[in-house]
Amino acid sequence: MSWTIDEWFVTALARTIRPRETVFHGFGSPCAQVAMHVARRTHAPDMTLVEGAMYAINPDPPFIPPTSNDASLSRGAAYSMRFEEFFDAAIRGDVDRMFLSGGQIDAFGNTNVTAIGPAGRPKVKLGGGGGGCNLSATIGALTLWTTRHRSGRTLVGSCDFITDIGHRTPLGGRAELGFTGGGPQWLVTELGVFDFRDGRARLVQVFPDVSVADIRAATGFPLEVAGDLRTVSPPSAAELATVRSVDPLRVRASEFSGGELGRAFERGDGQDCAC
Amino acid sequence: MSLQPPGDKRASLAGAVSLVSDGATVALGGGLSARLPMAMVRELVRQGRRGLHLVGSAHSIDVDLLVATGAVRRLEESYVGFEQDLGLAPAYRRAAEEGSIEVAESCCATVLAQLRAAEMGLPFLPVRGVRGSDIGRLHPEYAEVTCPFTGETLVAVPALRPDVALLHAPAGDRYGNLHLEQPYVLDERFAAASAMVVATVDELVSTDDVVAAGVTIPAHLVAAVAEAPFGAHPSSCYPRYAYDRGHLREYVSAAQAGGADLDKYLATYVSGGEESYRAAVGAARLAALATWSQSATAWRELFT
Repeated sequence: MSWTIDEWFVTALARTIRPRETVFHGFGSPCAQVAMHVARRTHAPDMTLVEGAMYAINPDPPFIPPTSNDASLSRGAAYSMRFEEFFDAAIRGDVDRMFLSGGQIDAFGNTNVTAIGPAGRPKVKLGGGGGGCNLSATIGALTLWTTRHRSGRTLVGSCDFITDIGHRTPLGGRAELGFTGGGPQWLVTELGVFDFRDGRARLVQVFPDVSVADIRAATGFPLEVAGDLRTVSPPSAAELATVRSVDPLRVRASEFSGGELGRAFERGDGQDCAC
Repeated sequence: MSLQPPGDKRASLAGAVSLVSDGATVALGGGLSARLPMAMVRELVRQGRRGLHLVGSAHSIDVDLLVATGAVRRLEESYVGFEQDLGLAPAYRRAAEEGSIEVAESCCATVLAQLRAAEMGLPFLPVRGVRGSDIGRLHPEYAEVTCPFTGETLVAVPALRPDVALLHAPAGDRYGNLHLEQPYVLDERFAAASAMVVATVDELVSTDDVVAAGVTIPAHLVAAVAEAPFGAHPSSCYPRYAYDRGHLREYVSAAQAGGADLDKYLATYVSGGEESYRAAVGAARLAALATWSQSATAWRELFT
């Protein structure tokens, strides 16, 4: 059995979803989008999947399109929420998990999707945060992700601009800010997986072709490593087959640089992992 | 909102768009790749509108084209871009980096609360987020308030009453009853919160037909309606047509290059009017976008 990093990455994202959760992804998030469908078709069949910018409940799209509000994404859904129905549910605390990414992510899980450089005169104006600066306050838990960890520019000591709120901002922690959601729980990158013990990112899993030294070199904040650091568990045959059938257009690959997509892995019969 | 008197609201596209003044606060309907009011956006460019203040949620070519042609002074959108697929919005990005537009980036949920305040005739509504986010620093008009019942600190955001909402629908009648398909995005809220709604429809139909399909935006909120076939292209307008990814790519490439490439895009697609736009896109291409409903394979093929 062989697979590539995009397939493994999506599987790692999918595993952050727990059974029975209500889960949402924002627009422009193909990896999270594919991961939610993989989770629903493997370990979390009783989750409530709210599909991106269609707000469709548990759809079975025939494919994932390259845009987040195409009608194909509501196929098979008995109901699509109105925009305001979704935001109301999220703000009152009825959404358990959201996937969020960022051009910059700090150790507290604050993310920047607004601008690199000074906000008044940015060096790079990014697209913007969508609903993040409210949703990150009230949704139960956040799974953060990036496919650009290796660039060295994504996991930073401090964000140039905080768009979405992590565990601690210069104005204080989540309790002081009156936020009802739990904040970042996981950060999945193309190099490894972090949890947020005590509200700070801590490396808990690595992909087998990456060393802790590689990760430290690519990380702009002091790297904390779990004592029981593990290798990310390989995808099961069912997970892999699901990734491939859910995403025949491979929109997930658009999040990775060409170099990363060359990372391939395999496991022979009877072996735990020959990665 | 201002309730409009009943009557025949039909207008030409140019006449409808002339209701938008220079400097107006404008809410653009739809979002991302769906149901953007592109015929009206192109007409705003043709009429040389200036100084617009755009408000809304997540947008793409509609906002970028207006920025590229110098129509925009200030933006309060939550996102402008072409998602992972085609990336950052070239003109928006360039103008923000040069400082030639004011970017007061906002948040979908905040804009929603502000529109609801306007709908209810209230001066503000509170939101629970924003604190700790630098988005708040871009909005000196926000204020912290203490809840008189629980003592919680919340962020008060002022009512947002756009001067005009520009909405596109697949079908509507001469009185301005509009039928939309999901995603409605903020269109219903824009319609109720704005001082005026100006609409285009792919097809003007009878009142019986629009009632049978379901009235999403009622005539009493609509000031003018113009027929504009493929008026959302290159965004989608289901059930009629899927979005035109190839055209978006062509626009992004021209806008990234700027200069002569952008001028060529504008000369080919914008300057000549909507009939000329549809001819430049090509009847075969437009017809192909309507084939999405034939099969999942046909649908998928449109996006490869």
